[in-house]
Amino acid sequence: MGFWDKLVNLLGFKKKEVNILVVGLNNSGKSTVINHFKNEEEKLTEIVPTVGFNVEKFKNQNVGFTAFDMSGQGRYRDLWEHYYKDCHGIIFVIDSSDRLRLVVVREELNLLLQHPDIYGRRFPILFFANKMDVRDALSSVKIAAGLGLDQILDKSWHICASNALTGEGLQEGVEWLTQQVRELISNRS
Amino acid sequence: MNAFKRDKKEEEEGSGNPFQNIEKTTVLQETRIFNDCPVDSRKCTHILTKILYLLNQGEQLGTTEATETFFAITKLFQSQDVILRRMMYLGIKELSTIAEDVIIVTSSLTKDMTGKEDLYRAAAIRALCSITDVSMLQAIERYMKQAIVDRNSGVSSAALVSSLHLTKIAGDVVKRWVNEAQEAVNSDSVMVQYHALGVLYHIRKSDRLAVNKLVAKLTRMSLKSPYAVCMLIRIAYKLLEEEDSSGGASSYSTLFDFIESCLRHKSEMVIYEAAHAIVNLRRTTSVELAPAVSVLQLFCSSPKPTLRFAAVRTLNKVAMSHPAAVTACNLDLENLITDSNRSIATLAITTLLKTGAESSVDRLMKQIASFVSEISDEFKIVVVQAIRALCLKFPRKHSVLMNFLSAMLRDEGGLEYKASIADTIITIIEENPEAKETGLAHLCEFIEDCEHTSLAVRILHLLGKEGPRTKQPSRYIRFIYNRVILENAPVRAAAVAAMSQFGATCPDLLPNIQVLLARCQMDTDDEVRDRATYYYSILEKQDKSLANHYIVEGLQVSIPSLERALHQYTISPSDVPFDMKSVPLAAVPSAEEIVNPSGKGVQADGMLISTALSGSKVSAVAVTVSREESYAEKLRNVPELVALGPLFRSSDPVELTESETEYVVRCIKHSFPQHLVLQFDCLNTLNDQLLENVRVQVEPPDGYQLVREVPCPCLPYSETGTAYVALKFPEELGATIGTFNATLKFLVKDCDPATGLPDSDEGYDDEYMLEDVEVTLGDQIQKVTKTNFGAAWEEAGDSYCELEDTYSLSSVSTLEEAVKDIVNFLGMQPAERSDRVPEGKSSHTVFLAGVYRGGYDILVRAKLALAEGVTMQLTVRSTNPDVAELVTSAVG
Repeated sequence: MGFWDKLVNLLGFKKKEVNILVVGLNNSGKSTVINHFKNEEEKLTEIVPTVGFNVEKFKNQNVGFTAFDMSGQGRYRDLWEHYYKDCHGIIFVIDSSDRLRLVVVREELNLLLQHPDIYGRRFPILFFANKMDVRDALSSVKIAAGLGLDQILDKSWHICASNALTGEGLQEGVEWLTQQVRELISNRS
Repeated sequence: MNAFKRDKKEEEEGSGNPFQNIEKTTVLQETRIFNDCPVDSRKCTHILTKILYLLNQGEQLGTTEATETFFAITKLFQSQDVILRRMMYLGIKELSTIAEDVIIVTSSLTKDMTGKEDLYRAAAIRALCSITDVSMLQAIERYMKQAIVDRNSGVSSAALVSSLHLTKIAGDVVKRWVNEAQEAVNSDSVMVQYHALGVLYHIRKSDRLAVNKLVAKLTRMSLKSPYAVCMLIRIAYKLLEEEDSSGGASSYSTLFDFIESCLRHKSEMVIYEAAHAIVNLRRTTSVELAPAVSVLQLFCSSPKPTLRFAAVRTLNKVAMSHPAAVTACNLDLENLITDSNRSIATLAITTLLKTGAESSVDRLMKQIASFVSEISDEFKIVVVQAIRALCLKFPRKHSVLMNFLSAMLRDEGGLEYKASIADTIITIIEENPEAKETGLAHLCEFIEDCEHTSLAVRILHLLGKEGPRTKQPSRYIRFIYNRVILENAPVRAAAVAAMSQFGATCPDLLPNIQVLLARCQMDTDDEVRDRATYYYSILEKQDKSLANHYIVEGLQVSIPSLERALHQYTISPSDVPFDMKSVPLAAVPSAEEIVNPSGKGVQADGMLISTALSGSKVSAVAVTVSREESYAEKLRNVPELVALGPLFRSSDPVELTESETEYVVRCIKHSFPQHLVLQFDCLNTLNDQLLENVRVQVEPPDGYQLVREVPCPCLPYSETGTAYVALKFPEELGATIGTFNATLKFLVKDCDPATGLPDSDEGYDDEYMLEDVEVTLGDQIQKVTKTNFGAAWEEAGDSYCELEDTYSLSSVSTLEEAVKDIVNFLGMQPAERSDRVPEGKSSHTVFLAGVYRGGYDILVRAKLALAEGVTMQLTVRSTNPDVAELVTSAVG
C-alpha cells in the first residue's frame, strides 16, 4: 500500500466497507435495531419475523455497514455459521426482559464464540440489552454477569442497554462499534 | 502430429464457446470471491454464468458442494448491481433442488418481490416459489396474492406461472388464490390474461361444472389476449369431447358456437386453433366442418410457411376421417407439392394420397419418388403410412405401391423407417391375398441385405407362417437357408424355426427340410442347435398332430406365468410331472386394441388436443398384455384365495353402479379351475364418511357354493378398496351361467371432511343395492389363437366329441353384427381372421378357438347365412362332451 493510501486511511477520508452479523434469539429485536439505522425513506413501518436472513446497508461516521440480519428462530440458528467467516463484527441482540431464556442466550453465545471461524479472531462484539423500557427488564450489568461476558478475552466487547423502538442507546453502541472497526482496519493495514 | 492436429482443431472451434474448458472444482473454488467485501459485480457475474453453464450441461453437484455454493451466492444479496442480482436469482433457482436449507433466502426474496426495484420483483417471485415447500407456503401466501394482482404485468405473470408450478406441491393453498386469479383475467396485458386463465383452469379442472361456468363466463367476455382465447378454445374443445362421450348435450351448441365464432377472430393463431378444434371434434357434421376447412384452405396459400405447415398438417390428419371435406382443398394441396419447404410438400402429397382418386395414384407416386430422398426419416414414415392407407383403399393398385415400397426398402434409412415399411408390406399381405406372393418376394429380397436383426427375425417368422401356404413354397426355402449360412445367431435361430414350419405343413418338402435341419444341428450357437434338434426330432416322427401342436401352433401359455409356475415347481420338488395345463393361457389382445392402441393415450393426455404419440401406443399394448398378469399378482397376495389354484381368466371390469353415485363399485370376475372369484373394487366418494368392514353380499343361483368372503377392512374417502367373494362352480356345467344379486354392506362412521378422522368410534350398518352380476359362458373361456385352424379342426374330428345345432338369430340383420355378437358371447378367439366378413356376401363361416376352464379345448365353426335375419349352423368340437353341450345350449 502506498504512502498516499496510508495517509488517507489514517485520516479516515476513504470510505470503508465492513460486513457485520446481527444475531440473537427470535423476538429480541434484531430487525428493529437495523431498521432504526436505515435512511428515513427506507424504513419499514411493520416488522415481521425474519425467515432466513435479510441484507441491509447503513452508514455511520463514514463507515459503510452491510448488516446480515439473521433470523433468530430455532430452526435457522444453525445457519448463522455460514456467515461467520467473512464478518468484521457482530451485533448480538438480547431481550433483557426475557429472564427465562437468558440461559438459551448464553448457550448460543458460547456456541458462537467456540466456532472455528470465530475463535481466536480479533473483532468487536457489540451487545444490545434490548427492551430496557420493559418494567422488569434486567440491567446491562446483570446481563453481562449472567452471560459471563468477562470471560471473553480474545475480543473486544461492549454492552449497552437499548430501546430499539425509540432508538435509545443504539447510537452509543454503534459509535463504539465504528470506532473498533476503524482501529481494526488501520491496524491491519 | 496428433497434438498438432488437435491444436488446429481447437483453433478452429476456439471462437465458439468460451466456457469449453471450465472445470467444476475450479469454478466452485472461485465462488470464494462472493464473500469479498465489497463485492466485485463483474467478476461475480462471470462466475455465476460459469456455474449456470455447468449445471445446464448436466454437471452433477453433491449436496455439500451445492449447499456451500448456495450460501456463497446468498452473500450477493448485498450487491446493488441489477445484472448480478438477476443472475443470482437464476442460481438460487437452479440450486434450490440440490442444496440444503434453501429457505434461508425466504425473507430476502420476499423483500425483493415487494420492493421498489421492478427488475428484481418477477425474478424474485420465481426464485421464491422454487425454494418454498408446503410448510413455508403459508408464510408467503399474502405476498403471492398481492403479486398476482400487481399492476406490473411481468410481476403478475411470474406470480401466476409460479402458482401453476406450486399446484403440484400444494394444490389446496393455490386454490385459495382463485379470486386474485379471477381479477388477473381482466388484466390488459395479453400474457397475464393467458396465464391467469391457465391458473383458473388448473384450479378447477377436476370439477366439470366449474369449468363449464368458467368457459361460459369467459366466452361472453371476449378476451383480449389471443393466447388466452386459444387456451379457451382448447378447454371448450375438451368439454365438448367429454360431453360427447358421456352423452350430455346441454351446452353443446353454445360451446360450439363460440369455437365457430373464433374462426372470424382477427388473430391467425386463434383462427387456426378454432379450425383445428372443429376438425378434430369426433362428431362434427360436414356442415359444421365446411367453414373450418375453408379457413385452412385459405391458410394453405398464405405467404407464411408456419401457417401453410399448420394447415396442411391438420388437413393431413383429418383426411381419413373426413375425406370429402378435404377433397375440396385438393387444388391448393397440389400447389403445395412444389413448395420449397419439404415438410410442407410431404404432408401435402400424403394428404392427397389419402383423399385422392384411384386414377391419380400413379401420378402422385411419381412425384413422391422425385423428392423422397431429400426428406428426413420422420417424413418418410408419414409417406409410408399414407401408402399403407392407400393400399387398403385401392387394393388393385397394390403392384404399383408395392414396387415403390420395395424401392424405398432398398434405400438408406433407420430402423424405425424400415420397420414401418415392413409393417406396411405385412399389412398389405394380410389384407390382400393377391398381393401376398409379390409382397413375400419383396421381403425375401430385403432380408438378403438387412442390418436390423429384429426386423429380419420378424420377416422370417412371417415367411414361416405364410410361406407354406403359397402355391410354390419351395422357392422360399433358399432365402431362409441363406440366412442360416450368413447371419448372426438370433436370425439363424429364427430361420431354423421358419424352415421347420415348412417341414410341418408341406409333406413333399419334408425330406429336404430334414437334411437342412440336420446341418443346422452343427451350428456354433446353442439356441440354433437346440431348435434344430427339437424340430428335427419332431418332424422325424412323421406324426401330423404332434407337428401341429408343437411346431405350427407354438406356445399358447403366458410366458411370465410359465416362468413363475416352473420356479414354484423347482422350489418344491414332487414326483408328479409338471402339468402344462395348469399354466394360465396368454390373453389375446382384442382386435380393437390392435387397431387403435393409441386411443387410451389420447384420452389420458391432459387438456391439450394431442397427437397420438408412438410412445403411448407401446405402453397401451403393454398394459393390455399384462392386465391378467397384474390381477393374478394381486389375487396371490390375498392369503384366503391362494388355495384356489392358478387364475384361469379375468373378465373386463363391469360397473355395478352409475359413475357418479355415493359409492362406485366395479366387479371383475376371475375364473379358477373349480372356483369363481368376484372382485369388487369399491370407491368411497363421500368425504364425510369412513366405511369399515366393506363387503358384498351375493345371492348365488342354485348350485353355486359360497366358499369365502374377504371384506375390505377400511375404506376412507376417495380411496379404492377391494372385497372378494369366492364361490365354487356347480358340478352341473349348465348351471354355471346365471345372475347374482349383489348388495354392498358396510359400517359407516361419520368423520370430519377436513381430517378424515372419525367423529366417534360408534358407527352404524348400512347397505347399498348394486346391479346384478352376470356370469356368462365367455367368463369361463380363455381365447386361444390358432394359426392353422383347418388342421386343428381336422384333427379334432377324430378324437373330440361333436355337437351341431342350427339357430336363427332374429335380432341381427347383418353378417358383421352376427359375427361380432357370437364372438363376444362365446369369448373365443376368431382364427385365421375369419371374423372379417367380405363385403357383399350372403354367407360366411367363422372359426373360433378357446379353452374352457379346467383345460378343455373347444373349437367352434359357425356357418352364417343371411336370409330374413341370420341363420347360423353351429358346430362345436370339444374334448369334454359336457362343455360342448354347454356351448350349444348357451347359444340357444
